[in-house]
Amino acid sequence: MSDLSASPTAAPRRISPHAKRGGVKAGENRFGILLLIPALTAFGLVVLFPFLEALRLSFYEFTIQMMSPEFVGLDNFRRILTDPTIIGSFVTTLIFVSLTTFFSITIGLGWALILNHPFRGQAMLRGLSLLPWVMPAVVAAFLWGWIFNSRYGLLNSLALDFGLIEYPVAYLSTNAGAMAAVVITKTWLSVPLFMAFFIAGLQNLDREQIEAARVDGAGNFHVLKDHVLPHLRPVMMVTVVLGIVGNLQHFDTIWALTGGGPVRATTVLSIEVYRRAFEQWDIGMAATVGVVWVATILPPAYFYLRQLMMRAE
Amino acid sequence: MADLKIEGLNKRYGSVSVLRDIDLTIEHGEFVVFVGPSGCGKSTLLRMICGLDDVTSGQLMLANEVINDVPSSKRGIAMVFQSYALYPHMSVADNMGYALKLAKTPKDEIESRVRNAAEILQIVPLLERKPRQLSGGQRQRVAIGRAIVREPDVFLFDEPLSNLDAALRVDMRMEFARLKDRLGTTMIYVTHDQVEAMTLADKIVVMHDGRIEQVGSPISLYNNPVNRFVAGFIGSPKMNFLAARFTDGAVAFQSGHLHMPHASARLTEIGIRPEHLRVGDDGEGVVQGRLVATEHLGSDTFAMVEVADSERPVMVRIPGERRIPHGSSLSLTFDAANVHMFDAEGTALPNETRRADAA
Ligand SMILES: Nc1ncnc2c1ncn2[C@@H]1O[C@H](COP(=O)(O)OP(=O)(O)O)[C@@H](O)[C@H]1O
Ligand SMILES: [Mg+2]
Repeated sequence: MSDLSASPTAAPRRISPHAKRGGVKAGENRFGILLLIPALTAFGLVVLFPFLEALRLSFYEFTIQMMSPEFVGLDNFRRILTDPTIIGSFVTTLIFVSLTTFFSITIGLGWALILNHPFRGQAMLRGLSLLPWVMPAVVAAFLWGWIFNSRYGLLNSLALDFGLIEYPVAYLSTNAGAMAAVVITKTWLSVPLFMAFFIAGLQNLDREQIEAARVDGAGNFHVLKDHVLPHLRPVMMVTVVLGIVGNLQHFDTIWALTGGGPVRATTVLSIEVYRRAFEQWDIGMAATVGVVWVATILPPAYFYLRQLMMRAE
Repeated sequence: MADLKIEGLNKRYGSVSVLRDIDLTIEHGEFVVFVGPSGCGKSTLLRMICGLDDVTSGQLMLANEVINDVPSSKRGIAMVFQSYALYPHMSVADNMGYALKLAKTPKDEIESRVRNAAEILQIVPLLERKPRQLSGGQRQRVAIGRAIVREPDVFLFDEPLSNLDAALRVDMRMEFARLKDRLGTTMIYVTHDQVEAMTLADKIVVMHDGRIEQVGSPISLYNNPVNRFVAGFIGSPKMNFLAARFTDGAVAFQSGHLHMPHASARLTEIGIRPEHLRVGDDGEGVVQGRLVATEHLGSDTFAMVEVADSERPVMVRIPGERRIPHGSSLSLTFDAANVHMFDAEGTALPNETRRADAA
């Protein structure tokens, strides 16, 4: 006993030569920042710089007839608030985004619940379900354009065969029909991604928890309502935000299917900006709409990122 | 009244046979423990009783009704899972009241029953917490509470103590004993720990490789194991086995002998528990060996003695503290009445001296 307590005084203490100044974690942050430099450079070049340029242009009037942009202050923003066509684009965007987000998530969730139960051909069906995801959007637009075509379209021929209609219908030339078509196409494109999210979420649902609920007397409905959906809540948050951001940005299938028409029935903000910039060459106004549009995307994007960060912790 | 009856039950997963020919009757109010090594099918049997797995063949009867195809939500059986399986997004109170809520029990009755169960388990202060804010032992109590609240016909427990540390396990074991007296419900308790089985059970069901080896009270299994497996499984430390032959009215070992005139010629092995061996040569059986190691527990000293007739060192329990030099030769002795005898298949052979004792 006594010789043990004596030993520290016998050998003087010194600090190990391997010790790091600033503690064991020192230097880790610096290394992290180093790793971020390439990504930050790319972000600056392709995102930040063009955005700042657009922000600058939104304070100018700059059309095809003008030699150089002319500073007009907040004039463009005032025009947006009073221009009924642009306000119309906001409303159209709101309708498009709500419908596509709602249907993508409900169908994605339903499909994930079906595919989560083992059955024959499950793996194959899962694989097939991912097809729209890997398909280029333009091909998807072409495919759905063919389905909705007023003369030889699949929908018309099926409806005629079943006697639901007497004459072929030009779906894309009515306001509601065109909106339905772009919503269906985008939903079809988004379902696989959301399904994948939900399947991933379902796979880490504790099986014994569900069994415990069954022993407690829960049928399918209560298992879904009381256990599966609460478990998927974080995933649901992420998909809602992801859906909103993605659908706010969406351009290609709408452009290919309807070109924003008939008249302005499917002119969402992305189409509006494109038209202003590259058809009317009203660059200043296009930039302004773009800035407002980005401003609407930012809050949901922020919530999405925050949700991701919180889950990473 | 026979409460739960299992007849000719089999379970296969594809071509793998997990349970074979299970026959078992569990009386109302009995505390039954299924015990056996990991992978012997205990959980599978429990899952079939509560309806989480299909029965491949055979019958499952509760109060004389065949319940093979009754979904678990309709069986009135409560189960405590090994992982506790608490509902993570519900408070402790909601976890415990969930089954009652599904059964459309009035709110104030749910509240009073939850409170009552919480008082029994001493978790009243935890009722508003979420499961992740609880320690392992507290989760365990909540899981038990969730089962008690339902006042079920049958309780099932799947290795409920295996995730707790040793000290807590002893405490909870005591609480199970108290719970059993207090509730008086039929309870089926699964464990791989034979000490838990011995201390809690009215009736132990020893399982091995998908079969029931023996059913009986703890003491009857300890005194009269029907085969070598049960003999080796029940009792701690384990029973010692010595290769033996019966010739000319005596049992012979390489390193000793046992005076036993009525043994069977089929005898190939005898079993003797550590607590029935002692150092010396005054008993009916004597073997010679060499001490290889000792364990000192204070209350007892366990000596491990190398004997020519056993592959593993023979374990001897010596009451109190004894120091014996390692490597020394010694002779071990025992009484014929404490000897278990087995044939080549491992089936127990009758011991006449023991019979006479018991009578
Ligand atoms: N779903 C399953 N599919 C195939 N084999 C299984 C399945 N569940 C359990 N088993 C097998 O059944 C045997 C018994 O398992 P189990 O009842 O969990 O044993 P215990 O609870 O006694 O440890 C094990 O060999 C296990 O591998
Ligand atoms: Mg098990």
